[in-house]
Amino acid sequence: MGPARRTALVALAALGFAAPALAAPQIDAPAPDFQAADARGRVRALADYRGRIVVLEWTSDACPYSHKHYDSGNMQRLQAKARRQGVVWFTVMTAPRASAEYMTPPEVRAWKRKVHSHATAVLIDSDGRLARAYEAKTTPHMFIIDPTGRLVYMGGIDDRPFTDPKSLKGADNYVADALADLKAHRPIAHPVTRPYGCSVKYPPL
Amino acid sequence: MRWLAAMLSVLAFCGVARAAPVNTGHLTAEIVAQTQGVAPGRTTYVALRQQIQPGWHTYWKNAGDSGQATMIAWTLPAGWTAGPFVWPTPKRLPVGPLMNYGYEGEVLLPVPVSAPADARPGQTVLLKAKASFLVCREICVPEDANLQIALPVTPAPAPTDPAWGGPIGKVLAAAPKPAGLTAAFQRKGANLALAVVGAPLRGGDVHDVYFYPDDSTVIDHAKPQGLDRGPNGLTLTLSPGYAFQGGAAPKAIAGVLAVDGKAYQLSAAPGPLPAGAGGLGPPLPKAALDGGLTLIPAALFAFLGGLILNLMPCVFPVLAMKAASLAAHGGREQALARRHGLAFGAGVLATFLALALALIGLKAAGAEVGWGFQLQSPPIVAALALLMLAVALDLSGVFEVGTSLQGAGAGLAARSGLVGDVFTGALAVIVAAPCTAPFMGAAVGWALTQSAAAALAVFLALGAGFALPFVLIAFAPGLLARLPRPGPWMGAFRKLLAFPMYGAAAWLAWVLTLQAGASALARILAAAIVLAFAAWLAGAAQKRAAAGARPLALGAGAGVLGAAALAAAVWPAYAATPLAAGPARAEAVAEAYSPSRLAALRSDGKPVFVNYTAAWCVSCQVNDRVVLSTRPVIEAMKRDGFTYLKADWTRRDPAIAAELARYGRAGVPLYLVYGAGGAQPVILPAILTEGAVIHALDAGAAKAG
Repeated sequence: MGPARRTALVALAALGFAAPALAAPQIDAPAPDFQAADARGRVRALADYRGRIVVLEWTSDACPYSHKHYDSGNMQRLQAKARRQGVVWFTVMTAPRASAEYMTPPEVRAWKRKVHSHATAVLIDSDGRLARAYEAKTTPHMFIIDPTGRLVYMGGIDDRPFTDPKSLKGADNYVADALADLKAHRPIAHPVTRPYGCSVKYPPL
Repeated sequence: MRWLAAMLSVLAFCGVARAAPVNTGHLTAEIVAQTQGVAPGRTTYVALRQQIQPGWHTYWKNAGDSGQATMIAWTLPAGWTAGPFVWPTPKRLPVGPLMNYGYEGEVLLPVPVSAPADARPGQTVLLKAKASFLVCREICVPEDANLQIALPVTPAPAPTDPAWGGPIGKVLAAAPKPAGLTAAFQRKGANLALAVVGAPLRGGDVHDVYFYPDDSTVIDHAKPQGLDRGPNGLTLTLSPGYAFQGGAAPKAIAGVLAVDGKAYQLSAAPGPLPAGAGGLGPPLPKAALDGGLTLIPAALFAFLGGLILNLMPCVFPVLAMKAASLAAHGGREQALARRHGLAFGAGVLATFLALALALIGLKAAGAEVGWGFQLQSPPIVAALALLMLAVALDLSGVFEVGTSLQGAGAGLAARSGLVGDVFTGALAVIVAAPCTAPFMGAAVGWALTQSAAAALAVFLALGAGFALPFVLIAFAPGLLARLPRPGPWMGAFRKLLAFPMYGAAAWLAWVLTLQAGASALARILAAAIVLAFAAWLAGAAQKRAAAGARPLALGAGAGVLGAAALAAAVWPAYAATPLAAGPARAEAVAEAYSPSRLAALRSDGKPVFVNYTAAWCVSCQVNDRVVLSTRPVIEAMKRDGFTYLKADWTRRDPAIAAELARYGRAGVPLYLVYGAGGAQPVILPAILTEGAVIHALDAGAAKAG
């Protein structure tokens, strides 16, 4: 096999591997675009929010980790603070229609009211497309997209991967930190952290 | 019986008092102890036992993409300490596109507990713990349990707990441990290569390998882990995890390498990958390894191989000689012919049985052996050379074996010694060793990886196939009648058959010089001359006896000289000399095989032809000369850019034996064609033809395009 042929082979192999990898979220690369319906039936596209900071928050009402952040008000406070700064906050619920976790749009609207969510909207990702685009793994799993559409943060909400509400005390909230860094035009101190929580419920392909 | 039960219950109460197990909803938890107490200043193990509901699981120390490790917080009396969990190797629990690591069913997580030096024997301490679990199926439930165990302080190290000592000991023994592995990781484009070398991984004989990282962020758990084997270890192709994005890459990747049911701790440093950790490609699928054989087809293959073995050059002279003796019966003495046939068959089967038992025994003793293994030992080769010479001398008429005294002059027709037939059967098996018939390689290779019973069955099938033609002739009057009528031609035929046997003796002498150097030649030739002299004396003694005289002195002389010749040939041990290269000939230029050379060529993507051969393997020698040394084959190798590696198994070589075993073979020949690129090798048949080899070479090269 000549060197030229081998190079071609390697290039082909690299392409083969790179194709899904390119789609996977990369820090400082353009965030994967999406179009998803919210609980009111309005289609939200990432491209419509150029010029604003966008936060994606995966959640599940059946997950004890999400409950820790909602029952304590921790998540709502973070949402409210971010919204005051002009951040667009999308909460994402990924669950196939057949699963026990799936909530219909009216159920999601009721949930949003009940937990006093300050999110801009709750996106219903019943086909899992949004989750696959971002390779969302856990609830919660957090992503921050800067005004130019680049992905600048992905990972956990904080450094306490536990369900116990007491663990919130003294936690380092990575999302709050990253939003503060963005506002101050500082490089983000921890752009990638470990997400923790329950697994995102993907519909079978 | 009743008092025994009473004693036992009293004993149980004297020992560790366990609190009742706690059902937390989806699992039942308790703490159990390895020993019935602990002595002051000593350490024992207690274990958190979980019985998890079917369908649910708890997590390893790295839960993977989601989930959370089981935790335990101890409340201990002053001075007592508890260490971290000893985590057993977890299970992979895939959920959709995610991967978790955890446990299902029953699991024991041992914890070392140390008593202070001033603990008072006789006292019983209460060890309390709060265990926290995340139990998941589709949904996850955090569950807690407050547990405790009462542990007596004993004056001397306490005996093992009858219920839990064994299970906890097993978990501790099987838990991943450091094994002196050297590991490094490196980014390779979009992937992450993790190369590991070390003693437990040497030889490339690994199949099921998985790396469980301690840190959940270093790899993408859900992506498949590509395996490349090497002579010194292995390389896994992983997908880098979050830790490789944004900021500094990890300084180390630690974790557990699970290899075929064993598990090792390792820590990999960034940097160049160690040598010999790849190049052999992924492991063969299990079915390809043993040829997908089961007992029935393997026995059938062995039977067919045994049949064909009759036609191989090693055996044919012996059998021709035997057939001639049967012809002597000329169909007139049916019963006698049958007895001869059965005796021969018994000799064959008994020898195969002995050979199989020897192989199984040696294998159990840890030796790397295979078909023809006995020819790897110079003393055995020397003894066989003398045996061939003795048979040849017998055929030449110098002396007679198995001839009753009164029939000495009557020639072949009068021979009736059944012992002689058994001996011929044994001889036929012994001389068959250098030959491998088609089908045999796969069957014998399979047999040696199976239980002793299966191995014996396959060897007996081989023997049955081998003995069948001869026994058949003996039992079929029609066939017997078709054999040429006995007559004076038989004496001449017999003397003619002596010459292939002289040839066999000469060839074994050549094998011996390759194994043990030129000085061995002098020894074997001297022994041969002494043996020939002994045979002549024996012949003289037999003539004398036939004439009615007492042949005692001559016979004794022959026996002593014969024994001396044999002794000189096998003792003292032959010096181990470097394997002498075969005589130069117009063969393709072959390089000596080594696992690292093969690995290097393979990792460069070069096509390789590997010839596993031995000087004592007649089938190999025939293939080498008749096929592999021909101009068309040499030209095809050049044209297709093949490197020709020769793995010489003339003498014992565990590396070659291991490689043969990987392809389900217990002996040579084996021909492997590694195509360009990373493909699995093509295995060529045991009997080569020019066309088949050239076709395989061209096909291997074409894979590059």
